[in-house]
Amino acid sequence: MSHQQQYAGPRGAAGAAARERGKARLRAVTISAAAASLIGAGAVAVALPAASSSAAASTSQAASGSGSSGGSGASKSGSSSSGLSSPASAPASSSGSGQVTSGGS
Amino acid sequence: MHGITSGTALWYASRATGVVSLVLLSAVMIIGILVNRQGRLPGLPRFAVLGLHRNLSLLAVAFVGLHVVTAVADSFVSISLAAVVIPFASSYKPLWLGLGAVSLDLMAAVIVTSLLRRHVGRRAWRAVHWLAYASWPVAVLHSIGSSTDLHRGLLLDLTIACIAAVAGALAWRVARASAALPRARRVPELMADPRPMARAGDR
Repeated sequence: MSHQQQYAGPRGAAGAAARERGKARLRAVTISAAAASLIGAGAVAVALPAASSSAAASTSQAASGSGSSGGSGASKSGSSSSGLSSPASAPASSSGSGQVTSGGS
Repeated sequence: MHGITSGTALWYASRATGVVSLVLLSAVMIIGILVNRQGRLPGLPRFAVLGLHRNLSLLAVAFVGLHVVTAVADSFVSISLAAVVIPFASSYKPLWLGLGAVSLDLMAAVIVTSLLRRHVGRRAWRAVHWLAYASWPVAVLHSIGSSTDLHRGLLLDLTIACIAAVAGALAWRVARASAALPRARRVPELMADPRPMARAGDR
């Protein structure tokens, strides 16, 4: 009994220190995850045009009458059934450069 | 540069935040599955693991919010605010966006009950919190169905990795639970032999 009381102090101090270390690690991991998420989102955004350039190109081809897979591309290309001008305009403007660069990237 | 212009920025932002949301939600699911009451992660005490689960959940919700806001604000596809919360109300890809709305509603239920946890009660909160487990597969289906970005390349690998990781965590949890003593038999076993209780206390 007396031993327990004797060690209660150091245990409490050690526990508080461990808790502070845990809080610090939690803060570090959370900040790292948030930073990685932002960086990852930026990287994905930059990488996406190369992946969707072929689809955008197919959309522009569909607009010219040769393509038939307008719905295969990014979510936009297959979205509007009202007309080809709207979906073709946005991706096509990006596909001009994206189509050229996608082969090498 | 890379096709990102002022006119397409929201489009890319919506898709990119959707991908990151999928990864974050998968991480939240994995931590939630792996960590039970006695569970720990290497280098983190138990309270920090629970805190990490909560913080990653909030981070995932923030990215889901960005994903939704940019999708609605994007002018190429008309997604109404009602379609964001009302399942299958969208005129654009109603099934896949409807699944996204279902997942969002489930997340909202979990968040609201978590914020009102003291008023709702632990049992009700826990019951609603289980909805989060249903929210993830619905979100994955929404991601795969609504975006062809995930159908090829690195993003396909990323999606498969997320699904495999969650499935692996689930299998581990189920195997561990089945190996443990059934709850109905715990009390008689402990009453008959106090040693298991002592061993459990040592863990």
